[in-house]
Amino acid sequence: MNQSEGLVVAVRLAAAAALVLGGGGFRPASAEPTFLHGGRGLLPAPADPTFLSKQYARCTACHYSASGGGLLTPYGRSLSREEISTFGRQEPGGGSPGAATGEENFLFGALSSESPLQLGLDIRPSHLQVHVPGRNIPDRNFIMNLDLQAAWRHDRWTAYGTIGREPMRSGSRPISYEHWLAYQVSDGISVRGGRFLPAYGVRVADHTSFMRESLDLAQDDQVYGVEVGVSTDRSLLQLSVGPGRAESLVDDDGRQALTAAGRWQLDLGSRMVFAASARYRAESQAVPQSTDTGLSFGYAPAAWLTTWTHADVRFQRMNASSRSYILANRTSVQAFRGLWLRVSPQWRWTETDPRGEARRTAFGLDFYPRTHWHVNLSYYRDHLQFTGVRTQTLLAQLHLYL
Amino acid sequence: MRALGVHPWRWGRTGGTSGALVVLTALAPAVPVPAWAQAAPAVPFWAVTSGDVRVRCRLTVGGAFEAVTSSLAGTLQDPASDNVSYPGEFRVDLATLDTGINLRNEHLWHNYLQVEHGPAFRHAVLSDIALEAPLPARAGHHETTFSGILAFHGVQRAIVGEIDLRRRDDRVRVEAMFTLSLDAFGIPPPRYLGIGVRDVIEVTVRFDAVDGETAAEGPS
Repeated sequence: MNQSEGLVVAVRLAAAAALVLGGGGFRPASAEPTFLHGGRGLLPAPADPTFLSKQYARCTACHYSASGGGLLTPYGRSLSREEISTFGRQEPGGGSPGAATGEENFLFGALSSESPLQLGLDIRPSHLQVHVPGRNIPDRNFIMNLDLQAAWRHDRWTAYGTIGREPMRSGSRPISYEHWLAYQVSDGISVRGGRFLPAYGVRVADHTSFMRESLDLAQDDQVYGVEVGVSTDRSLLQLSVGPGRAESLVDDDGRQALTAAGRWQLDLGSRMVFAASARYRAESQAVPQSTDTGLSFGYAPAAWLTTWTHADVRFQRMNASSRSYILANRTSVQAFRGLWLRVSPQWRWTETDPRGEARRTAFGLDFYPRTHWHVNLSYYRDHLQFTGVRTQTLLAQLHLYL
Repeated sequence: MRALGVHPWRWGRTGGTSGALVVLTALAPAVPVPAWAQAAPAVPFWAVTSGDVRVRCRLTVGGAFEAVTSSLAGTLQDPASDNVSYPGEFRVDLATLDTGINLRNEHLWHNYLQVEHGPAFRHAVLSDIALEAPLPARAGHHETTFSGILAFHGVQRAIVGEIDLRRRDDRVRVEAMFTLSLDAFGIPPPRYLGIGVRDVIEVTVRFDAVDGETAAEGPS
């Protein structure tokens, strides 16, 4: 590293530090730590809108799923090695386009990138510490995820599925988070049906984020339904409809209800995105009818800086507290290749019920030393305004995407 | 989007006689004038001081990325007798195009632009520029279309585009846009692991130029 490169790294580190220190004043906090719920918490997925800074405004460049997350495409795997990871990049001219049995592929090259069948193995051994005043919560070591992912793509068809285990309060159970079949009708129109996470807002990797968990878009909130996608080079419209949340349909827990969602994204530039989302859920036995509306804005002023902001309003048919709000931001700084630092102030509150207000500040570090390897350190400070309870959570996770 | 092209102009000047020529003429009886100055009257020009070129590449999966360079140079001289054609050229060093990530840069430079194949591949040159509507003499904002000859990837093709000119004092800010087909310039469809760039790309050129004068031919 020469002097100028060192200076650039120093500037980025300083920017990241400024972000972290600045975010500390916001003092957000979340009420009920999701991490207490059988470890079904923090699950930083490979899907990451942070890479808007690399001019990737669409999930489908790197993921099979149009709403992001899950198995990487061969292109996404290539990027994970050549651009995301600190080490392992091939020398200029060393990679020949199209051919690939390189280390970035399944099991370090066991499957060619040219194969219509692609596999992935997602494993997340994790360590979790939760501190809640007045409660003694033991630290936990557990496997947050152990999923086999598969995608088969031929001509205009894509079949996709996962199978794995879902950690429960005690033990685990088998689960297929996603399974769907998609057909590319034309250059800009696609249709898929099955179980998937509907497109809405910003799909940040951390599914405990208020931008996801509070909107019922957590790790097991996929729906059964049909989705139509209309894509142009400057916009993306995704509309879905179905009988409701997949797990509720499977478990018959009374929460299943007609669900329709839509997301429209406008690419204002190669590093600037605006999205408007809406979702309607009919009344179910357990949950009143609700409508969510959200606006999202993503901007990456530099190749090492990405910020996403999301504002959301939920309208519910209830006697009280009919309207609730979410305001959240996530800003990420690439200190150097493979190391991202992030801060995410989040706030949610309910119109007439002060018990619903919670603030959170999340700090995180994502280190991608080499393709297939991802280390995630996340620290959360949650504050439930009504009770004054403040919780702190630390997650240390090794994420292997093989 | 309005696009502007790359043009040569002589904004706001009246007549074709430059100040330098007037001075030379006035001094002629008393001062010996070099032969080259006598043979070649001074020709005003606009020289690029700063600018960038942005190439918007649309992806086959939707969305787009930009390749950007600030390695833009060139001058434009007074218009020819038709008042819309401008001698001069603009030159862009394609090896400095940056897409933001190394993998894309490597593929762009070597697999598609083939910049190592010589100057005709290393640089893109726009010349024979002509405006559809003559540039008014007054300062201000001027929008029109332009045409030119683009030498790119060893191939020469005529292009047309849109141009926006904003003149103030002795400076002018130019924004030009045109589209081109990669196939027309002999560039194979960019494809990598299932992701591709569509054939038609959008080129936006923005630059500031300053007024200056030089001799059409100088001493060698």
